[in-house]
Amino acid sequence: MTDFKELIKKQKYSVFIVILFLLFPLISPSDYITHVMVLIFLFAAMATAWNVIGGYGAQVSWCHATFFAIGAYTSFLLFLRFNISPIISIFAAMIMSFILAMIVGYPSFRLRGVYFSLATIAFAEIVKTLLLYFTDFTGGANGLMLPYKGASLMSLQFKTEIPYYYISFVVLALLIFVTWKFEKSKLGYFLKAIKEDEDAAESLGIKAYKVKLTAFALSAVMISIVGPIYAFNISYIDPIGIGHLDLSIKIGTIAIIGGVATLWGPLLGAIIIIPLSEITNALLGSTRGGASTAIYGLILILVIIFKPEGLISLFDKFKGRKKDKKLKVR
Amino acid sequence: MLLGQTIINGLMIGGVYALIAVGLTIIFGVMKIVNFAQGEFLMVGMYVTWLLYKAIGGSPYLLIPPVIVIMFIFGLLLYKIVVKPVVGKGDTAYILLTVGLSIFLQNVVQLIWGANYFSIETTIKTEAIQMGDVSIQLPRLIAFIGAIILVGGLHLFLKKTDIGKAMRATAENSQVASLLGINPSRSFAIAFAIGVVMAGMAGVLLTPMFYVYPRVGQLFGLTAFVVVVLGGLGNITGALFGGLIIGLVEAFTASYVALDLAPVGTFVVFLLVLLLKPEGIFGGGVRKT
Repeated sequence: MTDFKELIKKQKYSVFIVILFLLFPLISPSDYITHVMVLIFLFAAMATAWNVIGGYGAQVSWCHATFFAIGAYTSFLLFLRFNISPIISIFAAMIMSFILAMIVGYPSFRLRGVYFSLATIAFAEIVKTLLLYFTDFTGGANGLMLPYKGASLMSLQFKTEIPYYYISFVVLALLIFVTWKFEKSKLGYFLKAIKEDEDAAESLGIKAYKVKLTAFALSAVMISIVGPIYAFNISYIDPIGIGHLDLSIKIGTIAIIGGVATLWGPLLGAIIIIPLSEITNALLGSTRGGASTAIYGLILILVIIFKPEGLISLFDKFKGRKKDKKLKVR
Repeated sequence: MLLGQTIINGLMIGGVYALIAVGLTIIFGVMKIVNFAQGEFLMVGMYVTWLLYKAIGGSPYLLIPPVIVIMFIFGLLLYKIVVKPVVGKGDTAYILLTVGLSIFLQNVVQLIWGANYFSIETTIKTEAIQMGDVSIQLPRLIAFIGAIILVGGLHLFLKKTDIGKAMRATAENSQVASLLGINPSRSFAIAFAIGVVMAGMAGVLLTPMFYVYPRVGQLFGLTAFVVVVLGGLGNITGALFGGLIIGLVEAFTASYVALDLAPVGTFVVFLLVLLLKPEGIFGGGVRKT
């Protein structure tokens, strides 16, 4: 509880924003706007999960969409076949993701450099191809539809977007809280040390390989929580839509544009990217669907060249100046 | 019969994989960056071929010289504008930058020409050589031979010419090379442009066999990663044999397991290589932790 008080004290502005977010559905003009907010929360949550390994560890993962898809498929299949509530199957999804993250991370983290990124792509392609291939089990390219079985919390189905709004808000808050705990944990400090200088960290007795693997597994488990929520919200999943490399890139891009290795960067990134892609999609229609993706590709390039610490750093400067002034007054 | 055909199919496509991978591996060897946009350079090469073919006609293979020039200039410009600003900023910056570049190129092309599938109509497309039970489609054979010639040519270029030697020196140690009067930035630019040209060449050779569409480069690009790791990052001979091996793995998975599972075979081999022989079959520069 003291941790929580400290968090509130340190993040005054954030608490204000949180209250604003909580009241939003009351003033939301339409279900569509609320849905966009749900998407912002869910993508922010995914980017937050990515940030744990991709940001704090600078180990770029391109298979986070796959863990997301594993969460979505696990919950869908258990619900459709055995009528198991997604609230329970989320835990099954987390276990699945943990095991698979270990399998991918084990061979690739023993090597430095780009091998991890390459391995994640290979893993993502394998899972996507298998989801497409085992048609009887997964519905193949046609995907899986979720019939409406009446509003209830246990089946995560509701008449309006508002319950999803609060659920996704809670999920985002939970993942940010986990990241905050992680940032302050031994694991977080070790990971940051490795990111700065792997040789130096190892000479101090940090087992770089173990630390990265643990952080990756944590990150994978975190994102697999978001999968079921998203899947039940849009009530349709298919391998190309949710297990594709493009989605992994989108998740990473959101975190990077906002600011890697920061607590609030991923949320900022989602606030920028999600409305942007909604607007370009609405303006250009699905025939020229490349527009929004091209724009975030361009933003990604520009951010890496000109502002690698992300747009959140603009706020830091503002804060920093204020602190300087205070010091001068004293 | 199936066995012979499978081996031929594997080798033919393997030659093209080798060509794409060689482009990737020369960029890595000299600049120490993995280019995640290699598949998209291939896609750009295919679109350039398709556009030139629409404008000029003739045989698609006669377009090789103009495509080389266009892709070389394209590569130099990309290096100057996009890549150069992040030189020396580490692996993560390169990965993210080239991934950004790849989705940008993919979607700009989609924005201009839509997500449509285009193809060029030549008679050569359907021709095949029959050898007993085994048949070889002519475009595949040409692609294979063309790829081998280009890979061999690049190898000679690096061994025999001054620019090639300067590039190898930069690859070995860019600081020492610059002390000896070699401009590393120039070596980087040329290596990057050559990598782009190699992808463009693969594009020309593939256009008579495959549809041209915005995402065509994705799977080729991913396969090329597997090839370079298998052959040893930065190793050109390794990339050649790696390409042929992966071509065979894919063909055997397609023939004996299931056609749709061919990529799974490739990527499982990749994870196994990482696990068992991360420096690649033919060696390369990897550090174990």
